[in-house]
Amino acid sequence: MIPIKPIDPAISLVHHFLERSVRLYPDKVAIVHGKARVTYSEIDTRADNLAHHLLSMGVQKGDRIALLMENCVEYVISYYGIMKAGAVAVPLNSDLKVEGLQYAINDLEARILISSSRFDKLISGSALNTFGLTHLIRRGSPSPLSSPDNVVAFDSVSHQSSGVDDQEFSTGSRELSDSDLASIIYTSGSTGGPKGVMLTHRNIVDNTFSICQYLHLTEKDIQMCVLPFFYVMGKSLLNTHFAVGGTVVVNNQFAFPATVLKEMITEKVTGFSGVPSTFAYLLHRSPLAVSRDKLASLRYVTQAGGHMSKAIKEQLRRVLPSHTEIVIMYGATEAAARLSYLEPSQFADKMESIGKAIPGVELMVMNEHGKEAAVGEVGELVARGSNIMPGYLNKPEATNKALANGWYHTGDQAYRDEEGFFFVVGRQDDLLKVGGHRLSPQEIEDTLMESGLFVEAVVLGMPDELLGNKLVILAVPSSNSCTSNEVMSFCAGCLPKYKVPSEVRFVKNLPKKTSGKIDRKACLALFMEADRRE
Amino acid sequence: MEEIKKQITEFIATNFLFDESITLSVEDSLLETGVIDSTGVLELVAFIEETYGIKIEDEEIVPENLDSINNIALYISQKLSQVSAGQAAN
Repeated sequence: MIPIKPIDPAISLVHHFLERSVRLYPDKVAIVHGKARVTYSEIDTRADNLAHHLLSMGVQKGDRIALLMENCVEYVISYYGIMKAGAVAVPLNSDLKVEGLQYAINDLEARILISSSRFDKLISGSALNTFGLTHLIRRGSPSPLSSPDNVVAFDSVSHQSSGVDDQEFSTGSRELSDSDLASIIYTSGSTGGPKGVMLTHRNIVDNTFSICQYLHLTEKDIQMCVLPFFYVMGKSLLNTHFAVGGTVVVNNQFAFPATVLKEMITEKVTGFSGVPSTFAYLLHRSPLAVSRDKLASLRYVTQAGGHMSKAIKEQLRRVLPSHTEIVIMYGATEAAARLSYLEPSQFADKMESIGKAIPGVELMVMNEHGKEAAVGEVGELVARGSNIMPGYLNKPEATNKALANGWYHTGDQAYRDEEGFFFVVGRQDDLLKVGGHRLSPQEIEDTLMESGLFVEAVVLGMPDELLGNKLVILAVPSSNSCTSNEVMSFCAGCLPKYKVPSEVRFVKNLPKKTSGKIDRKACLALFMEADRRE
Repeated sequence: MEEIKKQITEFIATNFLFDESITLSVEDSLLETGVIDSTGVLELVAFIEETYGIKIEDEEIVPENLDSINNIALYISQKLSQVSAGQAAN
């Protein structure tokens, strides 16, 4: 295992990242969002004020405070302010509906929610007081909400001085230890409802150090962030740049990529991060190719959040400036974000690999006997390290399963090559039984993407009495003139017979989760619905 | 222009307004109100190109042109006048 090199050994709690940067770079711009340019000093002061307010409300160490907000300056203040107060920050998915919000508030036993006016309707329709919520701290114009009973304006509490004579608010170190919980992040479970992944300060701090180490981040780095902070990937962009004293440019308009590219150029952004759909979209309908000469500062792009096809990776390499490195990464919420990365120098040779373990992490392919698999043998990818969660909130069974035998079980099927690079072949849950074969749809999807016929494509298993599953394709075509015959003859020419799907349907977009990952269940439902209509 | 607004409103209502609690005015940001996302923008672009026979350049896919019913209608009208001006010149 490669050891972690801490940026500063005195850092043991997540909000220390902010507190270190405010000491070293008080007047440096930490966050850019639209016209707002906010310094480390301002964020720290407002986070201190918020923390004081939370303590005055009776918040105790370990209390869970829910955070429901789009990416913005106030989000960042809240995230660090909650931890400064010794509480646990629980960022919630901004796409939650009534049931999801009620579930989370109930599961967390949260009394306080920090939110913004955009979510007024959702909050007022959720009767959260019946689930124990007593306080709402709300960003935006005066509140029309009558429930919960206590609604206060975010600006008033974060701007109101604590009256401690500008002394830095230093809760934590005295009362908190690095094994205390810092954050809980919900992931969608295939069974049993969403799971709250509990992450300690140590989990997040060590993973942040590790990412800074392999990406060689410094205070000069400027990150364009289009990914939501409520997922670990977006959150790690924030933490890593706050750890080194860099700058995060928040842009919530990725649906209009030309706007994002323009800001990347004007802000001289050095890093951009996305999930596979981010890059598919950028390559399909954006002025990236014509902007490449203006992206002189773009040092690297990182991709995580699931498998991205080789075709997209190759296209991305052609379109990006030659000085921009591509870093393929792999991780999980349960790992506080990151588990492995592919050294950019290996990109051309090992493009399909997720690379090797990051500093502080051990990775292994485990066979069905619980032993390390041989080179080339497919098994489950497991991991251990100081970044691995202590468990899921209120779900001991799921925790025991995920952390069995001292390893975190990723649920991904993978193998290791003779040089020690890991390759993920697909999710265990996604494997399809077709006739006598057990197939990974990912492999067929990669072949399909090489045709150039699709923006995105997913291979699904339709229940079939004879075969168990019948392979079908749901795809977004690159051009309106693409025909089913064209697709089927491509498949027949490139795939062995048992891997050739029997049917293709075209749609305008593939259903996705808010993480940007393709929602296979919803895709199958969409395919079947189209089937019924015919 | 009013006819274009009507068609765009209809398209958005049919394809994106599944949440009945959302009431959309012609000036509202489609993105901020959560009506549309990346893939929704692609659908909108395809709809405009097909319905009005205009080509939207990648650089033109920006909020100023496409983030509200008003902006969309104005953008389409301008594109259509450019097309007719071009045809008249020929």
